[in-house]
Amino acid sequence: MEKTIKRVKTYIQGLDDAMQGGVPAGHVILVSGTAGSMKSSVTFNILYNEALNGKTGLYISLEQSYESLNQHLSNMGLRLDKINIQPVKNLTRIEEVIHTVKNNSTGSIIVVDIGTIRKEIKDIKIADNKSWLNVIKNVVKKVKMETNCSLFVLDSLSALYTLSRFEDPRVELFYTFEFLRDMDLTTFLISEMPLDESKYSEYQIEDFLSDGIIHLRLTPFRRNIIKEIMVVKMRATNCNNDVFSLEFKNGQFQALYGGQNPLL
Amino acid sequence: MKITFGLKKILGREKEGLLREKWKFDSKNTLLAPPTICDLKNTGEKNILFGTKEGKIYSLDKNSNIKWIFDAQEQVDQIEIMFLDVESANSIQASPNIYDLTGDGRKEIVFGTEMGVVYALNSEGKPVWKFKAEGSIRGGVIIKDVDGDGKPEVIFGSGDKNLYILNAKGKLINKFEVDESIESMPEVMDDKIIFGTNNGKIHCISFEGEEIWTFKTKDKVLAQPVIGKLFGGDERYIIIGSTDQYLYTLDEQGALIWKFKTEGAIYSKAALADINNDKKLEIIFGSCDNKVYAVDSRGEKMWSYETNFWIVAPVIVSDIDDDGNLEIIAGSYDHNLYVLDAKGNYILDYVPGLAGVMQQTGSYSDITTSEAGKMTGKKIWQYQTEGIIVGCAMIDETKDIIINTQKGYVNNIGYEKKRD
Repeated sequence: MEKTIKRVKTYIQGLDDAMQGGVPAGHVILVSGTAGSMKSSVTFNILYNEALNGKTGLYISLEQSYESLNQHLSNMGLRLDKINIQPVKNLTRIEEVIHTVKNNSTGSIIVVDIGTIRKEIKDIKIADNKSWLNVIKNVVKKVKMETNCSLFVLDSLSALYTLSRFEDPRVELFYTFEFLRDMDLTTFLISEMPLDESKYSEYQIEDFLSDGIIHLRLTPFRRNIIKEIMVVKMRATNCNNDVFSLEFKNGQFQALYGGQNPLL
Repeated sequence: MKITFGLKKILGREKEGLLREKWKFDSKNTLLAPPTICDLKNTGEKNILFGTKEGKIYSLDKNSNIKWIFDAQEQVDQIEIMFLDVESANSIQASPNIYDLTGDGRKEIVFGTEMGVVYALNSEGKPVWKFKAEGSIRGGVIIKDVDGDGKPEVIFGSGDKNLYILNAKGKLINKFEVDESIESMPEVMDDKIIFGTNNGKIHCISFEGEEIWTFKTKDKVLAQPVIGKLFGGDERYIIIGSTDQYLYTLDEQGALIWKFKTEGAIYSKAALADINNDKKLEIIFGSCDNKVYAVDSRGEKMWSYETNFWIVAPVIVSDIDDDGNLEIIAGSYDHNLYVLDAKGNYILDYVPGLAGVMQQTGSYSDITTSEAGKMTGKKIWQYQTEGIIVGCAMIDETKDIIINTQKGYVNNIGYEKKRD
C-alpha cells in the first residue's frame, strides 16, 4: 500500500491540486524567478496561512528589511494582526523572541531581518567567509530546537552567495541542503534568476540538490506583463507541469490554467 | 632474451596470531585526528592524548583510565557565537604535539583549535600559556629548535594565511604571510621551514622569513612534508602528497625529482622506511583512491593494497609481531584497520597451460619476455572498528595499536600469537 505523504499547501488555488495537495513536508524547495515575480510574496503567504492554522514558521530575509516586507504584505491585504509576527533585528533578541513564540498559543512567524543586523554590525570584523551561513544555520537550529517550527523560508540564496563566499559550491551546498533536510523543516529557498531565465539557480547544483523547483516568471503579453507559475520538479509527487497564470485576488493566490502561452 | 615465466619466487609469508581488542574508550564526541602516545612525566608510564571536535583534550593511561580532561572551549559573546559553526568552533583537528617547553623534565602538550588558539598544557593538563592567531588552526603544531639557539620554537600555520613562530613561552617571534590559508603541519629542515598551502603551493622559508623556494602543485596541500635520505646517501629529499592526487619528491632546492600519481587526494604525511632491506628508503602512504601504496626511492610503485574507502590518516610502519619483518598499519574510512606485509606479495597472472600458449602464433615472444605476474599488497590481519578510522598510533613498548574513530571511540588493539 502506498505510504501517505504529509503535504504542505502552497495556498495557491489550483496549484495545490496540481501537486497532489501541496509540497511534501520536509522537502527543500527552490522557488526561482526574476525580480518582481512574487517569490517573496508567495513564500511568505505559505507561512502566513500556516500560521493562521497555528503553525510556526521562520522567514530569514537577507536584504529586504522587516519594515519593507511588512508594508508590502499589508498592502497585499494579509492580516498580520491575526498572527503572532515576531521581527528579529538584533541577534541578541533571538532568545526573547523564541520565548514569546513558545508562550503564544496562536501561530507565529519569526522574521529575521539580516539586512538590519548587517547594518548594525558592519564595522565588526567577521571571522571568515562562512560567517553569514553560520548565522543562518544557528538561527534555524535554535528556532527548530526550541519551538515547534515546521517551515522555513530563506530570502534569498542569491543574497547569501554575495555574503558568504563558497569556495567549493558543490560540496558546501550539498552539506547545506543536508543540514536543512536534517532539520526536518519544509524549506523554501528563494533563488533570483537572471533576466534571460537561463538557469534556476546560481551554480545549478541547487537544481539537483533540491527536492522541488517552483518557477515564477513574467511574460510580456501585448502591453502587459503576465505573472506565471509552474512546477518544474517535485519529488515524490505526480504533478502537472503546465504553466499557470498567477494572480492574487481577494487576498488569495490563484493559479489559472492557461496552457503554455499567456491567456488570450 | 630473459625468460622470466615461472622463475619468480612467491614472496608471501603466512602469519599466525590475531589482533584482539584490549579495551575501548568512548569519548562521546567526534574525533578528527590520530592520538599521540607519550611519556609525559618521564616515569615510563605511557599516556594517550587526543583532541575532540567539541574542543577537549583527553589524557588516558594505558588502561584507558582518564587522567585528566582539558576543555579548550573559548568564551564568546552571544552575537559572536551566532557567526560560528557552533559544532566545530572549538574543534581540535590535529594530533597534539608534546615537548618539554619549560625544561623541567616533564613534557608540555601543544595543540591548536578551530578558534585559532594555540594552547600549551603541562603534564597535569593545566594551561601554561595560550596564543591567539587570527584564523583557525587545522594542521598540527611542530616544536623544534629552528634557529639553533638551544631553545625550541613552536611553529604552525593558520587560516589567516600566516605561518607563526612562537618561543617556548608562547610569545610571537615572527609571522610570515603567504597568499592562502595554511592547513598543513610544517616540517623543519635545519633552519628552514617547509609547509603547504591551500592554493597548492609548497613553501620553504628561512627562520627570518626569507622565501627560499616554492613549488606549485595543482590543488590544496594539506599533508605534512616528510624529509629523508631516500637513496641512503647524504642528500635529503622532501616528500609530500597533494590533494591533486600526486606524491611529490623534491630536492633540498625545491626541484622536482619525481612525482607519483594516485587516483585520489593525498591528505597525510607519508612514512619512510627501508622495507626491502636495499639500504634505501621506501615511501608508504594512503590515498583517497582507497589504496595504501609502497613506492621505491625512484618513484616506482612496489605494491598497492585496496581497501573499501579512503585512507586519510598516516600509516604506521612497525614490526608488530617481532618476527623481524616490517608491517604496515593503515586505518581506512571503511572502518577497518589493515595490517599489511611491508614486502607485498607476488601474484602470478592467470595463464592457460603454457604449452598451449607457446604453440599459438605470435604469442611466444610476449609470454617469455613479460613479467608473469605483479606485486600487490598483502593483508595479514584486518580489524573492524565501529566507525571511520581517523588515525592510529602505536605504543612502541607493547606494540599495542591505539585507534581513533570518528564516532568517538578509542580502541586499543593488541597482537596475540594464538587465541586462548
